[in-house]
Amino acid sequence: MPSSRAHWWFIGPALFLMAVILLMPIGIAGVMSFTNYSLGNPGADWVGLENYEKIFTRSTYQKMFGATFRYVFVVVPLSVGLGLGAALLINSTKRFGDFYKTIYFLPVMAALIAMAIVWEFALHPTIGIVNSTLEKGCGTVLESWSWFSQGCDRGFPLWLTDRDYAIWTVAFIGVWQGFGFNMVLYLAGLTSVPRELYQAAEMDGAKSAWERFRLVTWPMLGPTTVFVVTISFIRSFQVFDTVEAFYPQGGGPSKSVYVMMFAIYEKAIQQNLMGIGAAITVVFLVFVMFLTLAQRWLVEKRVHYS
Amino acid sequence: MSDLSLPANGTASGAFSVPSFRFSATETLKHLVLILGSLIVLLPFYVMLSYSFKSPAEIMQNIGGFFGAQESFRDDYCVKLGKDIADCMVTPAIYNYTTAFHKAPLVRYLLNGVIITASIFFIQVLVALPCAYALAKLRFWGREAVFGLVLFCLLIPVHAIALPLYIMLAKLGLTNSYAALVIPWTISVFGIFLMRQFFMTVPDDLIDAARMDGMSEFSIIWNVMLPTAVPALLAFAIFSVVAHWNDYFWPRIVITGNRDLFTPPLGLREFKGDADGDNFGPMMATATVIVAPLIIAFLIAQRRFIEGITLSGMK
Repeated sequence: MPSSRAHWWFIGPALFLMAVILLMPIGIAGVMSFTNYSLGNPGADWVGLENYEKIFTRSTYQKMFGATFRYVFVVVPLSVGLGLGAALLINSTKRFGDFYKTIYFLPVMAALIAMAIVWEFALHPTIGIVNSTLEKGCGTVLESWSWFSQGCDRGFPLWLTDRDYAIWTVAFIGVWQGFGFNMVLYLAGLTSVPRELYQAAEMDGAKSAWERFRLVTWPMLGPTTVFVVTISFIRSFQVFDTVEAFYPQGGGPSKSVYVMMFAIYEKAIQQNLMGIGAAITVVFLVFVMFLTLAQRWLVEKRVHYS
Repeated sequence: MSDLSLPANGTASGAFSVPSFRFSATETLKHLVLILGSLIVLLPFYVMLSYSFKSPAEIMQNIGGFFGAQESFRDDYCVKLGKDIADCMVTPAIYNYTTAFHKAPLVRYLLNGVIITASIFFIQVLVALPCAYALAKLRFWGREAVFGLVLFCLLIPVHAIALPLYIMLAKLGLTNSYAALVIPWTISVFGIFLMRQFFMTVPDDLIDAARMDGMSEFSIIWNVMLPTAVPALLAFAIFSVVAHWNDYFWPRIVITGNRDLFTPPLGLREFKGDADGDNFGPMMATATVIVAPLIIAFLIAQRRFIEGITLSGMK
C-alpha cells in the first residue's frame, strides 16, 4: 500500500460535501425547530417546544398526519401487492412478458408532474375520459352495483375536488406510478429463486400453485419484500408533485390531501414560517430514518429463513 | 440466499408455467388480467398524446377518436391581433405543438434540463469516484469511520432536508441560479456506495501492476478504474438523469419567477397555471414533449434503464 497522502484528496471533497449538504441541514433544522425564525428577520426567538406542541395538537396538523398516513397506508400495500402480482403473472406467462413489463414500467419513467396534469384532465367531471367512460356503462348490468347506479342518477364523483374521494384518488395515482418499480424488483427477485426448490416442494406434496407460492416463492422473496416495502414507504411519504399540481393552495378539499411534504412547502416556503416548517422536517426525518433502520435490522435478521 | 446456486434455466420461464402448448384457460385469464392492467396504466399516456393532436372543440366535447378530425379551426388569438380570418385557420396538431414552443420558451426549458442533469451527473462522478476508490482499495486511518458515515448518509432523503438547504442557499444569495439547482445533488452517497461495492470486485493485481508502471494514484482512478466501471457508471447515469430530469419539488422551491432558469417540469407547471379552455391542446403537447425524451430512450434501451432505475435495489 502506498504511503502517500493521496487518499485525503480523494475522500476530502466527498467528506466536505456530506458534512455541508447532508449533515449540517439536519442540525440546522433541529435548532430552527425550537425558534420562530423567518427568512429576512435579523434574529429569532427561542420558543422551546412550541412548534412541536402545535404540530401535535392543532387540527391542521392532525389533518396533515391523517392525510399522510392515509396516503401511505393505501399506496404501500397496493403498490407492493400489485407489483408482486404483476411480477408473478408476467413470470408465469409464456409469451409477451417483456411487453407487459415495458408498459407497467412506463409510469416510473414519466415525469410525475406531467402525468398528474394529465390525470387531472382524465378525471375532470365533465370533459374527462374517466367519467364519460363510466357513463357509457349506465343502463347495463353494471347498474346493479348500487354505487354505479347512484353515479348514473346523480353524476359520477368529482374525484379530485370531492373531499370524500380526493385522498383516495391521489393515492390511486401514487399506486399507478409506483407499482411498476416494485414489479421490476420482484421480477429480479424471482430469477434468483432456485428451481430445485419447487421440485423439492412438489415432492413434499405441495401440489397447488398457491402451496408452492406459500412454501417457496414467498419465503425466498423475503429480502426483496423487505426492500420493496421500505422503499415504497419512503417514496410515498415524500409525495408532493401530485398534491401540488392538483391543489396549489391549501392541500385539497378541507385539507384532506394536506401531506407532510406539502405542509413543509406551504408553511416554510410560501408563508415563511421556518420554525414550524423545520419542526415538520424533523418529524419527517424521524419517520424515514426509523423505517430505514427497521429495514436494515430486518435484513440482518435474515428474514428469508424465518 | 447466496449459498444456493443459481439454476442455468431460471430466466423467463417461471414458477407456475403449465407444461403444455395448447389453449389453456389459466393462461388466457392471466393475459386478460395483464391486458386490463395495461389499459389502466396506458390511459393517461393515451389521453396526453391524443389531446395533443386535437382541437379545443374536440377536447371539450370528447369526440374525434385518437387523432381528431384534424379539421382547421379559427385561432381566436390570431384574429384578435387583427389578421385576416383566412390566415388564422390552423390545423389542430400543428397548432398545439407550435403554440407549445412559442407561448413559452420550451426550448430554453429543455436546454436547462439538459444542462442541470448533465452537470449534476458529472459532478457526482467527479466526487464519488475517487472517494469510492479510496474506500475500496486504499488502507488508511479512519477508513471504516468514513464508510460508516456514508452508510449513515444513505438514510437521509435530500428532499426531506430541502428546507434547511433552501435557507443556507438563500443566506448565500444563491437562490434563482443554476448553482441552487445543482449544489444539493453534487454529493451522491448512493453513488459512492455503489462504486465502492463495484471497485471491491476489481482485482488488486490490476492496481498493483499500474503502480509498478509508475502511475500515480490519481491517474489510476481515471485511467484504470474508470474504464472498468463503465457498466456501473452507465446504470448510475440513468438513475441520476431520470431522477433529476423529472424532479419537480426542488426546482419549485429554489426557482421563483425567473423563467430563464425553469426546468421542464417547472415550465409545464407554469403553463398549467395560466391555461384556459383553448390551451389544453398546447399544454398536452408540452407535457408530451417533456415526457417523450426519457420514454423514447427507455423504449430503446429497456434493459439498461430498468437496471439503472432499480439500482437502489442492490443495497
